[in-house]
Amino acid sequence: MTLRSLNLPGVGTKYEIETDKGDTVAVFFTKTGVIQMYTLQKGCQTSSAAEMTPVEARRLGNILTGAIIEADQESVEIAFSALADLRITIHTFYIPDKIIGKTIEDLQVRAKTGATIIAICRHDRNIINPAPTFVFEAGDAVLVIGETTQIKTFESELMVE
Amino acid sequence: MEGFIIALFVCLVLALISKYLSIPAIPFYILAGVVLGKAGLGFVQSDEISHFFSEMGLLFLLFFMGLELKVERMIADPNKLLVSGLIGLVVDMGIGFTAAYLLGFTLMEAFIIGTAFYITSTAIVITSLIENRKLMIKEADTIIWLEVFEDIVLIIIIALLSSGNKDLLLFLVKTVLALAIMYAVAHYGKEFLVSILERDDETPILFTFAAVLTTASVAIFVGIPESMMVIALGVALATTDPDAFEQHARPFKDVFLVMFFVFFGVTIDFASGTNLNTIAILCILAVISKFISGMLIGIAIHGSALSGLEIWANTISRGEFSIALAVLYGSAVVGTVIAALVIFTTLVGAFTAKYSTWMRRGIITHSRRKALMHRPHTSR
Repeated sequence: MTLRSLNLPGVGTKYEIETDKGDTVAVFFTKTGVIQMYTLQKGCQTSSAAEMTPVEARRLGNILTGAIIEADQESVEIAFSALADLRITIHTFYIPDKIIGKTIEDLQVRAKTGATIIAICRHDRNIINPAPTFVFEAGDAVLVIGETTQIKTFESELMVE
Repeated sequence: MEGFIIALFVCLVLALISKYLSIPAIPFYILAGVVLGKAGLGFVQSDEISHFFSEMGLLFLLFFMGLELKVERMIADPNKLLVSGLIGLVVDMGIGFTAAYLLGFTLMEAFIIGTAFYITSTAIVITSLIENRKLMIKEADTIIWLEVFEDIVLIIIIALLSSGNKDLLLFLVKTVLALAIMYAVAHYGKEFLVSILERDDETPILFTFAAVLTTASVAIFVGIPESMMVIALGVALATTDPDAFEQHARPFKDVFLVMFFVFFGVTIDFASGTNLNTIAILCILAVISKFISGMLIGIAIHGSALSGLEIWANTISRGEFSIALAVLYGSAVVGTVIAALVIFTTLVGAFTAKYSTWMRRGIITHSRRKALMHRPHTSR
């Protein structure tokens, strides 16, 4: 596999990967903000292209890294291969009604599940590293980090109505 | 003032239409100007306000040109850049200049027309490459480098033209001094400049605007061409944080440049004695000459006439730089010719850029069929 990156004057940045099997994938981050991905099969003359918004491109990126994507709630698994294959999962949840009005301390999140709440999204505003005294409101979305099993425990203990 | 608002509103509608049809908007702006202005209905006259806006448009266009010009990029593949660039320069400038001279223009006029004839529109070419999803084709790199080469040639030509008929030594001393000051400011004040650009209040945008205007007015005050100095300012500031400057200068460029195109159209006057035949010949030659240069570049760089066809299809459109030349150095007649040239080539260019893949496919299947039919040893 060879990866090349190139600055194209007036256009933006180009990343090109040639796979071991001889196919080519090129991604262009253009100055207009759109991202174009081209694939060229080995032996073919014409490439096919897809144009994406940054959000769509990020989603595609998540899929390619092997994370699971659900409709509204998404989860990303990050593997650090250099650190004895350390795997960490980050998952988003919309909170159920039963925990509205409670604090993170009340719920004993870490003691009960092992997972940690690292961010809360409230009305399109993000609160990073919320304090233990943070009170949940209706409509909040939480971002939880932990091992896959810890995330599952978190979901079954706290996120089920 | 009312005329100005009318023009602005018409442009907004035209911009929406051209974006919807995904064809370049520049020819429509000029046509709108022609229809509204002197040559047409006479609704809109250019006055002090419109003149100021047009001037701003030109300054910001040139400033952007400087910003985009990063010297280290050109060294990446000098051979390809030089070969394709020189072919384009010699063929297109040669045909444009000779044709204009033979059609009865003076040497100077023919030179301006030849340059406008040669310089393609970087904005249109790059946007159409992106919109037609052609960035991956192997000719795309060549086309992009061709645009870079043309920009450099244009800067040199502007420098040459603006140094004309003045005291050359004094002019040179002044210019070098101004350039040195600009580079010194960009080099030693880099941290300060970057700290201004990083703020998220009104200061970065105010600073960008002021920098361009101050440079232009200082240049006028000391008697050196402001067009040259604004390009140089762009090149100097590109050594600090070009992306931030582009981001802050873009709104000014976008609005003022549209005004620049419209009021260029408004000032066009068909009564200035332009021969329709002359215009038609130059317009058609403009398409043919790019075909010749495109073919030669395709064969020289990619070894294929089909590549040449692709290069031709994407580099027909002349645009903002041709008009800038007309406004800076052209007479009324030259202006009319260049306006027609831009309108005709952008429309043809939009069409060829969109359908070049079809053309190529058509040629390939046709030649295959021919080859099949003429196969000498078909054994049954």
